[in-house]
Amino acid sequence: MSGVPRARMLDLMKVQCQIFATTYNPDGIRMGNKVLRQRLRGPTLAKYYPPRGPSVNDLQRVRSRGKGAPKKKRTAPAAPEKKSK
Amino acid sequence: MSMFRAKKLDIGCFVNIKTIRDHSKRKAFAAAEPERQALRYIIRNTTLPARTRAEAQLQLTQMHCYTRPTQIRGRCILGGKGRGILRDFKLSRYNFRMQALAGNIPGVRKASW
Repeated sequence: MSGVPRARMLDLMKVQCQIFATTYNPDGIRMGNKVLRQRLRGPTLAKYYPPRGPSVNDLQRVRSRGKGAPKKKRTAPAAPEKKSK
Repeated sequence: MSMFRAKKLDIGCFVNIKTIRDHSKRKAFAAAEPERQALRYIIRNTTLPARTRAEAQLQLTQMHCYTRPTQIRGRCILGGKGRGILRDFKLSRYNFRMQALAGNIPGVRKASW
């Protein structure tokens, strides 16, 4: 600090912090700000596995082409004939 | 844990329980990350009262283990393997070799000199 008084340097630091929107912390106290500065890495980590695309055998597509399984009958089926001995 | 698992399968690579589990962990971590970072900030801030910081420590340790980033592991997207993964390609070393020799990975060729 070649001849410049400390108070003046601190003032300079304060103004610097105001301009660049950083925390004024001349004593170097641990305030945990480095945690706030870190970027969130959740979104990139969550994108690791490729998403599931539409598949050829999608049930909707099969149904739309009329190839799906028939609908379950609502009414009870006709009573089966009794077997004669 | 099943409460973190998607109700419908939502990954389109090799699927086994390990990849599904890892995917659930990734999503759980992504959802809980802001909360974790807030707690971490409180813990590391020495200007806050000691009691607050201790409470934050407790809260952070009591969060579900699926929300922890260390639970996440790189897995092969072709075989689900958990070891020997080349992170840049998300492939295990054997699958990477097979894909590279088949020319499926752009810019990768077998070294020869």
